[in-house]
Amino acid sequence: MTQSQSQSQGPLTGLFAGYPALAGTYDEMFAEGATARAPFARVAALLAKLPADELARSQALAETALLHQGVTFSVYGDSRGTEKIFPFCLLPRLVAADDFRRLERGLQQRLRALGMFLDDVYGEQKILAAGVVPPEMVLGAAGYRPLLRGIKPPGGVRIHISGVDLIRDPDGTWRVLEDNLRTPSGVSYVVENRLISKRMFPRVFDAARVHRVDHYPTRLAETLRSVSPTQSAGADGNAVVLTPGPYNSAYFEHSFLARTMGLELVQAPDLFVDGDKVYCRTTRGPRRVDVIYRRTDEAFLDPEAFRPDSVLGVAGLMRAYAAGNVALANAPGNGVADDKAVYPFVPDMIEFYLAEQPILEQVPTYVCLFDEDRAYVLEHLEQMVVKAVDEAGGYGMLMGPQSTAEERDEFRRRIAAEPRRYIAQHRVELSSCPTWIAERGAVEPRRVDLRPYILTSREGPWVLPGGLTRVALARGSYVVNSSQGGGSKDTWVMKDA
Amino acid sequence: MISRVADHCFWFGRYLERAEATSRMLAASMSLALDAELPPSLVWRPVVVVSGEESRFLSRIAAGDDDHPAWGDGEIVQRFMVWDEDSGVSLARSIQGMRWNARSIREVLSHEAWEAVNELHLWMLGDLAPVSYAQHREAFYQHVRRSTQLTLGLLRSTMLHDEPLDFVWLGVLLERVNQTARMLDVHHHAFTQMSRRHEVVETALWLSLLRGLSGSEAYLKRAAGRISSEGVARFLVSEPAFPRSIAYCVHSAYSRLCDIRPPDSHDLPGGVSLERLRVLDTWVAARRTEPLAGAGVHDLLTHVVDEVHEICETLARELLGAAPAAVTTPARRAPDTVDRP
Repeated sequence: MTQSQSQSQGPLTGLFAGYPALAGTYDEMFAEGATARAPFARVAALLAKLPADELARSQALAETALLHQGVTFSVYGDSRGTEKIFPFCLLPRLVAADDFRRLERGLQQRLRALGMFLDDVYGEQKILAAGVVPPEMVLGAAGYRPLLRGIKPPGGVRIHISGVDLIRDPDGTWRVLEDNLRTPSGVSYVVENRLISKRMFPRVFDAARVHRVDHYPTRLAETLRSVSPTQSAGADGNAVVLTPGPYNSAYFEHSFLARTMGLELVQAPDLFVDGDKVYCRTTRGPRRVDVIYRRTDEAFLDPEAFRPDSVLGVAGLMRAYAAGNVALANAPGNGVADDKAVYPFVPDMIEFYLAEQPILEQVPTYVCLFDEDRAYVLEHLEQMVVKAVDEAGGYGMLMGPQSTAEERDEFRRRIAAEPRRYIAQHRVELSSCPTWIAERGAVEPRRVDLRPYILTSREGPWVLPGGLTRVALARGSYVVNSSQGGGSKDTWVMKDA
Repeated sequence: MISRVADHCFWFGRYLERAEATSRMLAASMSLALDAELPPSLVWRPVVVVSGEESRFLSRIAAGDDDHPAWGDGEIVQRFMVWDEDSGVSLARSIQGMRWNARSIREVLSHEAWEAVNELHLWMLGDLAPVSYAQHREAFYQHVRRSTQLTLGLLRSTMLHDEPLDFVWLGVLLERVNQTARMLDVHHHAFTQMSRRHEVVETALWLSLLRGLSGSEAYLKRAAGRISSEGVARFLVSEPAFPRSIAYCVHSAYSRLCDIRPPDSHDLPGGVSLERLRVLDTWVAARRTEPLAGAGVHDLLTHVVDEVHEICETLARELLGAAPAAVTTPARRAPDTVDRP
């Protein structure tokens, strides 16, 4: 600790004066006694000097810039095709260098184990035979695709792109809340939010010494190239980004990634399969495609394989995939590994496949399929967060502490009827972060999570030093999902002091 | 490049040019109406006719009456041409169409060009455009014109000059051929219908037509200040150096298509479109030495408009992926997929 850093510690001043820290909650920036945490002292002192009206003005400018640039998501069910910006708070979320180093190792370990689990589940199923994970939890998961058993993905990679949601409990311990191994979104906001931070706080940013995030698209392009089945032939592989189209809520991101990687953005009707090879319809006739970064749900990838009733998708795509002629990122079938019912067993997987102790904690989870766990959950429903294993985006949940008696009765019935569909956790007091609340003209604590992004190529997993910090903007809220009033913050991962 | 993307590029170019042409024509008509001492319907009716929306205006606005006062009411005609959501050619719809196509090929456009498109779209949707329209009509048209011209300039100065830009430009040029041909045709017709020829009025009208095509200065340079019906018609049809003349646009469109699909690449799709455009280019060039007057002008322009329509249809089939596909695709050019009749 240098002299200047320790000097800047002390009671909160300026922008942060009177910051109403939440009881029983870990605050990302301030420790007990209203002092900035040591690694962030300098940045906190600089931020504190920003006049509130200037922050308000910068915030409004940033929002206009996002709107003009079309950094927006489409609002479903709006016939006029209204687009909104993802609410954004200018005050960054800081992550200390030591913390991130540990997260990085933990995430790499986790992704290696999850990849081996998928290879195993779609191969010999040793982990089921060994009784480490109950077979019914895996084979009964909605994301398990028996059709894919025995198919080896080109390049041997299945989880090319993942986003792992992390939270921090009142002790400041990082915990994995869930894995997103299918089509995780949000990384475009990481890059765009950074551009805005740099424009709005150049001096603070410069002083903070933050890891860059703008090389993500380059690394993603390398990752995609590394699994190209035609790469060995020396030819220039032809990777594309597959989007459901402009009406999809994440269309901006699909377009952003295609643009920043210099790849073409295609829709399913642009592709066709001939002789188990995939081609793109171009103005110069068909052109071979060998890697597809698909941002479509796998159920709509190929009507021949998954949804015969679907007119969406590319007929024959799975045959081409099985023949090894096209790499799909992410591989279909990954849903079995990020299933909420499989999540409780990830630490066991790490020990089983890697013979290592898990580096990252996760949230203790009760599996309603197990009699003992179920009895506990039903008894303590008022304290538990119950989640349906096949729902996402904050839906299909019971927040015990805020629930009504009727809601709890309803979940009691549902759990009794289909125990496999439910897991339960104690509510974690998510950590908070100073957040600019425009309508109150003040900085207040709001709860956050963190989604780092991990790219896995043939050479193994790589963690982007940054990530999407999602923030529950409503006072007292724990729900950070963008579909339910969540916003985002730029995440500053600090370099070593 | 992907056929669907080429299609979006082409239509992006057409809507962009259409928005610019419409705002320019409305501003020129407004200026003409102020001092031409003409019956108002001679000023405003051609605006509706040029846009190809005569029958919709007749049924929706003019209650089926060909002599309805709405035909001469500048406010009603302008509201129809600017804000009507059902009209495929209103400024609101053109800007919407331009932006929708641009957003569908966001990764193809440069950041600057996209931002210019998006800002015009947001301006038009927001509170500023209606206020400007109500209080400073001229400034309103100027804003649209400048934004579209800025976009055209940014496309050329910030994008790779390769296939996507060729398709945008092909769309711009073919739309421009239509705009010039229709404006000349309608005005030429109106002049020949005037009961009493009056040199001053006629000069004002021709100048207004030229202004509507950003061509008055260029024409006066070529004609050394002499304004005549035949001179203007010849200039707008044949002047090889004027970027809105039919000859210039058809020839440039042909050059763009030659870059997209070289004439000697017989194994590539697009040969039929290319040949048809080549024939039209030769035909228009040959008109340069023929007399241009009376009904001949109308016949010439009709042929040009019909051919451009056919060429667009052929392009759609050969290069833009409009061939009947096995899978139904969602509407790809909302809000308007219909070419003008």
